[in-house]
Amino acid sequence: MKEILAVIRMNKMNQTKKALLGAGVPAFFAHEASGRGKGLVNAVVAEGAAKGYQEAAEVLGDKGKLFAKRVVSVVVTDDKVDPVVQALISANQTGNAGDGKIFILPVADSVRVRTGENGACSIE
Amino acid sequence: MLIMIRSIVRPEKADAVLAALMDAGFPAATRMNVAGRGKQRGIKIGEVTYDEIPKVMIMTTVSDKDKDFVIKTIVEAARTGGKGNFGDGKIFVSPVDEMYTISSGVKESELSSIGEARP
Repeated sequence: MKEILAVIRMNKMNQTKKALLGAGVPAFFAHEASGRGKGLVNAVVAEGAAKGYQEAAEVLGDKGKLFAKRVVSVVVTDDKVDPVVQALISANQTGNAGDGKIFILPVADSVRVRTGENGACSIE
Repeated sequence: MLIMIRSIVRPEKADAVLAALMDAGFPAATRMNVAGRGKQRGIKIGEVTYDEIPKVMIMTTVSDKDKDFVIKTIVEAARTGGKGNFGDGKIFVSPVDEMYTISSGVKESELSSIGEARP
């Protein structure tokens, strides 16, 4: 059992919901967050800052600016990890820096509160 | 081996922690506003008990060789006063099995793409 934690763009939420449904995972939870990556930016802006243009340097700033993001968390059985990751990538990929990251963490167990059953049948 | 570090800190210390991580060479992080209580069962002021105290959760993923350094950086930035106080927060460390960058679709095995400790 794995937890798939994806940090994605705010405006990709609807496509992500559709993609997860397509991958056979209707259940997930999302959280508003803000974050920063390794600081990759538009090549034109970076070039301008290197040449000493004040406006470009101001856009870059000296500390990491935090951007609004969504964190999507899905818990799935091991065999569904690959299709869900592929669905998340194809729904969220624009090819630019800032598309986000996907983390896959181990989950020891899960329990369905309504019935008290645990293990794989609680998330299927 | 990748490690996810989830630290729950005071909201007023979140910017200090993010700045410290940036200076230490770990720019990538995600922050969330959360609410919770610790083992002191919240704060009791007079008759009223506050057991949903606002906190900020900062999520960052590093390679395991940088783990201790990053935890030390966060602890130093998030602690209040000299010895620290109740409510300064907790740090949770968990393993990450796999990591993907969405923009390239590549599965990352090394953490050069997230940052590493500056000498």
